[in-house]
Amino acid sequence: MAVCIAVIAKENYPLYIRSVPTQNELKFHYTVHTSLDVVEEKISAVGKSIGDQRELYLGLLYPTEDYKVYGYVTNSKVKFVIVVDSSNTSLRDNEIRSMFRKLHNSFTDVMCNPFHNPGDQIQSRTFDGIVSGMMVQTA
Amino acid sequence: MAQCVQSVQELVQDSFTPMVAVLCSETAERMSRKNRLSFAELLRPFCRLTSEGHIRDPNNVLQSVKGLRISVNGLCPSLKPPSSTLTPAQRQVLHHIVLSSQPQEGAVSSISAGDYQLSFSGTTPWFEAYREAFLQTMPSSEHEFLNHYLACLLVVSSSETVPFEQFLKLSQEQHQIQHSGEYSSPKWFIPNTLKYYVLLHDVSQGDDHRAETVFEDMKQKYGSQGCYLLKINSRSEGPSDQDQMPDPWSQYLHKSQTHTHTQTLCTGHVLSGSAACALFPGVTSDTPSQSLDTAALPQLSACDTSRRASDSITSGAPGGHGACLTLNDHDRIRQFIQEFTFRGLLPHVEKNIRQLNDQLVSRKGLSRSLFTATKKWFGGGKAPEKSVAEPKSTTGLLYPPEAPELQIRKMADLCFLVQHYELAYSCYHTAKKDFLSDQAMLYAAGALEMAAVSAFLQPGAPRPYPAHYMDTAIQTYKDTCRNMVLAERCTLLSVDILKSQGKYAEAATLLIKMTSEDSDLRSALLLEQAAHCFVNMKTPMVRKFAFHMILAGHRFSKAGQRRHALRCYCQAMQVYQDRGWSLAEDHINFTIGRQSFTLQQTEKAVDAFKVILEKESQQTATQQGAFLREYLYVTTFSLSPGGWPEGLSELPLPCIDSSATRVYFGPERRPAEGEKQAATHVSLDQEYDQDTATMWCQLELQLVCAANKGAAPSAFQPAQYCLHSQTDNLRRPLAVLQGQSNPHTRGVEEPLKVALSLSDLTLLWRFTADGDEAVLSNEDAPTALVLSCFYTLCNVCIDLCFCAGETLLVRGRQELKIQGLRLNQTKEEKMSVRHGRDERLNPIVTAPMPSWRYGVFFLHFPSALLCGEIRKAYIEFCNMSSVGLRGLRVVSTHPTFFTFGSSSSPHTPDTPVTPHSAQNCSAYKTVVASEPQQPPHVLVAAQDFLQPSSIISIPIEGGILKPGASMQLPLWLRGPDKEGVHEINFLFYYESTEKGGKISHRVLRHTVFICSSRSLSVQPTSSGTLVFVDVENVNLSEAGVKEFHIVQVSSCGQRWCLQSCINPSYHKEWCLSSRERAKLCFRAVQSEKYTFADLNLASERVVSSATPCGDFFFRCCEAQTQSPAEQAQTLELDLHLIVLWKAFVVEDNKQLILEGQLHVALQNVGQKSTEPQSVSTTLSCLLCSTITSLTRIHSKVLTRAFLGLYLWSQRRVFCCSEGADPCTLFSWVGKSQYRLVLSPEEVLCLPLRACFYSAGVYDLSSCRVLVRPIQSDAPPESVHSHCPALIIINNA
Repeated sequence: MAVCIAVIAKENYPLYIRSVPTQNELKFHYTVHTSLDVVEEKISAVGKSIGDQRELYLGLLYPTEDYKVYGYVTNSKVKFVIVVDSSNTSLRDNEIRSMFRKLHNSFTDVMCNPFHNPGDQIQSRTFDGIVSGMMVQTA
Repeated sequence: MAQCVQSVQELVQDSFTPMVAVLCSETAERMSRKNRLSFAELLRPFCRLTSEGHIRDPNNVLQSVKGLRISVNGLCPSLKPPSSTLTPAQRQVLHHIVLSSQPQEGAVSSISAGDYQLSFSGTTPWFEAYREAFLQTMPSSEHEFLNHYLACLLVVSSSETVPFEQFLKLSQEQHQIQHSGEYSSPKWFIPNTLKYYVLLHDVSQGDDHRAETVFEDMKQKYGSQGCYLLKINSRSEGPSDQDQMPDPWSQYLHKSQTHTHTQTLCTGHVLSGSAACALFPGVTSDTPSQSLDTAALPQLSACDTSRRASDSITSGAPGGHGACLTLNDHDRIRQFIQEFTFRGLLPHVEKNIRQLNDQLVSRKGLSRSLFTATKKWFGGGKAPEKSVAEPKSTTGLLYPPEAPELQIRKMADLCFLVQHYELAYSCYHTAKKDFLSDQAMLYAAGALEMAAVSAFLQPGAPRPYPAHYMDTAIQTYKDTCRNMVLAERCTLLSVDILKSQGKYAEAATLLIKMTSEDSDLRSALLLEQAAHCFVNMKTPMVRKFAFHMILAGHRFSKAGQRRHALRCYCQAMQVYQDRGWSLAEDHINFTIGRQSFTLQQTEKAVDAFKVILEKESQQTATQQGAFLREYLYVTTFSLSPGGWPEGLSELPLPCIDSSATRVYFGPERRPAEGEKQAATHVSLDQEYDQDTATMWCQLELQLVCAANKGAAPSAFQPAQYCLHSQTDNLRRPLAVLQGQSNPHTRGVEEPLKVALSLSDLTLLWRFTADGDEAVLSNEDAPTALVLSCFYTLCNVCIDLCFCAGETLLVRGRQELKIQGLRLNQTKEEKMSVRHGRDERLNPIVTAPMPSWRYGVFFLHFPSALLCGEIRKAYIEFCNMSSVGLRGLRVVSTHPTFFTFGSSSSPHTPDTPVTPHSAQNCSAYKTVVASEPQQPPHVLVAAQDFLQPSSIISIPIEGGILKPGASMQLPLWLRGPDKEGVHEINFLFYYESTEKGGKISHRVLRHTVFICSSRSLSVQPTSSGTLVFVDVENVNLSEAGVKEFHIVQVSSCGQRWCLQSCINPSYHKEWCLSSRERAKLCFRAVQSEKYTFADLNLASERVVSSATPCGDFFFRCCEAQTQSPAEQAQTLELDLHLIVLWKAFVVEDNKQLILEGQLHVALQNVGQKSTEPQSVSTTLSCLLCSTITSLTRIHSKVLTRAFLGLYLWSQRRVFCCSEGADPCTLFSWVGKSQYRLVLSPEEVLCLPLRACFYSAGVYDLSSCRVLVRPIQSDAPPESVHSHCPALIIINNA
């Protein structure tokens, strides 16, 4: 499962970042932030070639020594980033995809909340719960 | 990758240059040392050939050699074999090179990518310096020949007695070094090294002729191609026109010193840079060169230790190189190098290439496969225990020097050095295949690397640059051979080449791959270059740039390169700043702060830490605490001792809610002094209340109107003593000097989760003199010189203190920035966010005004009163300012509450007069009652007591209260008529005796709370000329008041006055205990004038017309009737009664006597009470009751009366009567209830009996009669008489 899950706004500031508490949070912030370059590269590359229809799932953004970073961009250019431990080989592409889909659905729910101000940090308990479900459970 | 000064081709060429060794005789060396240069150094600036050379390749094709550079180094043999890693000393050198090279000011390029605007230095001279130095320090290796010595210059001085002997000696020395096998370095390219004999001639000292002859001999001996006569030192040493001479050595020596002379020179270098010196106090001038193991630097050292020592001295002196050389000498040296290269070196290389080629060609006859097969079978000439045994080991596989594979490599290297890249490439390619097939990985990697480089350098680029060669080479060097130095060199070259082709991504990947744990400096530099690669890409990857900058910064700081680390972090900061990545931002800021602090840039450090603390933080409490502690620690260092308050730094904490600032103009609040109770005035803590503010404003307006004879000035503005966000702050407040203003801010917010303790808060102010107005001076008050000026209260000075283990205390300031209210009037204002002005903190300071400084005191001021109670208190006015005070006025929300006494009645002699009242501290003016039966009548003019309005002028003796003077006045208070808590507001008004000040007047507020409790209820009735007053003690607090005594009833009115009291117990005070009632009966007579008539029930008579009784009476009348006309009417028509009472109160086991007065008005005095009309229209019955018989039973205890109730009706009615009365003073006895039928016109008498307990006047008409028509079922109606049925019981 994931070690860090982040939601980044269109303007590239974090709406939500959650990482496993056992590891340095700062590191994940840096990782996620750096991955945005790749996300932007991928978006711009796709935008030129195909046009309007675009796969939301961006796949593996970049592998580092310890982690694999996956990306997903909604149509409103909100980015989801999931960081997975490199040692975790059990995760297939399909599972990552379904994680993103779940995340997207939950995010949509958050946005549907009339009391949520778009652009604000996500402070939804439900969303928190969904994310926690996808994180590595550290006993 | 940052932009480089050199082109890539130049860089690669310069990385691999033909190496030439120098062996010098002692005298020759001494000769060159005159110029403070070793011979090798002497030549160095001229080592790049300006003209084109030529060389013939093995196919006899002429190749041109352009811009060849040769590298001349002193020969310094060493026993130690070269290692594949850098020695610590070498690392140290590199470290210092990087350290000393800092970004130049202004060399900043800016890049905008997306919404990012970055500015950073585009060039990285420190990296270039590092790279050059690194490539120079490459240890020579077995597997390549590029940095092996090709030739050796043997230099002998012409002053030598037998130069040939010297030449022989040097030649033998060289031979020994090369062939004895004792020395593992330097390495030599070819067994028979080119020896070039140089005769060094000192023109200024030596004999030209002799030199020429010797040279002639040399030519004969060594051939004209192999020797040279170099004439130098054309002028003798001296302080001649040195300045005009160019000094080409300086730039070379600058580098070469650091390269070749290592530590000593580095130290000197560091010394020269003061900044660097400050950074590394450990590396000081006394660090001796001897401390370094010279043998540890075999490749670096070109001279022996003694020479180096002298070098270090020479290099210390600025300029001074080549002092004995003229421009002509420079040309000679240049000529010499050219001659040597073209006549000596190139032919030598050409010859060797040809030889090697011939060897290889001759060997080509054998098929390659056969050759290898033979090798396998016979175990071959070389010793390839190689691949099969230890394929991965580098040391395990060594070709003997004569191995054919190495010959190819050697030839390739030779070709490469003389820029024959095409041939070099094919040779490298061949060699690579051979090495690979032999699994000689180190050799193969070297060949791959050089093949790639020569492919790149080939003119016209016949084949694409084989990047994968490089990748493989790097991989091999790194993983298989574990030779990081070679891998690094390979990477550096490859990256530069890739960069030149625009392949930044690949370059970055290579650079990042090359970072490892073994060298922080290298990793840092490479990461930084990688970051530059990212930002130079076609679509700049800004975030990757930032991230790698941070990584680089981290490594730099680990490597001890603080300045570079700081720079990296600062550059990365641009990307993270203000974009919501607070965690990262905090981290960077924290690091910047720390690095800046260690670099003694405390300002910057403080700023960085401040940013962390200012932002809304996501950090944990401990983290925040750490940040705070660090900040405070750094701040304590940054504070400059002087320059207060400019020297105070702005503190980020605590967050001050500036809009909640309250500005208070007034003296400090003083507690009550002893018995004196100071006026409350305005305090900072008061909550703003619109109603209260309006009330005060109205009161002030009344006062101002009164002061200005009825009309308020147009510029009237209510005085504001406490300004805050809700007050009108558009105008600048007027304040008085003498430090009376006292702003105060509330709402200190704390975003941190850490406790802060603040202490020693001081307000700072800025002062602006008013340009227009002349500065007036006041002779009387030396302190008040400036009359009108502007202050801006700008800052709060705060001691910020944070306790964690040790206490850190920082003194700083914070600006108060106040925005006005948001404007919301026009459309534009509604659309945008605009704020109005707020002049709260910009008071205008004016002339001193009189101030009481809380000089209004109240003495004996009560907090609880009975309704109508009169109490005497004192008020004291003290003028503590330096200016006189006049026009004292007061207004109150409750004008009936107090009086200062009427103006007509003089205050002296003060009350009381009679001894008895003096005993009781009576407030009243009393006289001993002389004639009991004749009530004294006092005629007064009502106008005496009438104030024009509720404003009371307070008389001051002489009209002016002088500075420092004080004045005490009596003040009478009367408890409000309604019970409950009353808020009573006073507003005192005064003016300055000085005219023309900006402030026309000042006011002082006072608020008291009075709790009034019930005393007596008085109900007057009248019947004819009889006036009854029902008095009931309604006081509920049994604890306090024991009983009330009615002392006196006074009347006042235009037409009527009380004449006598009918009550029998005339001279006795009427005593009422709780809930008791009494009926007082008086007779009134007509009078023509407005009369006060006092009917005293006690022995003393209170002069009701005098102060305070009369004052309160009139005031109450005033209050009841609003308009003066109506008021006069009331006074004419009615009979007003004043009931004066005494209350006996027990408090703390002491009996107190309280006094009071109640006012009631009675109308219709003198009119006969009308006969009651029909109760109802259906029942036209009339009922009247009179006392039939009155039997007086004189008894001590009670009086019994026999009474008859007469009933009469026109119709037949059913009556029901009962003698019920709640009155406690008498009771019905016997049969008191009747039910009977009354026939029409029948008069019936019902006998009733009543008992009376004490003497007095009683009204018996209270018995109830219910009546209803006899036929109907309607509910009975109550009928009672309107005539009083009085009975007077006299005391026996």
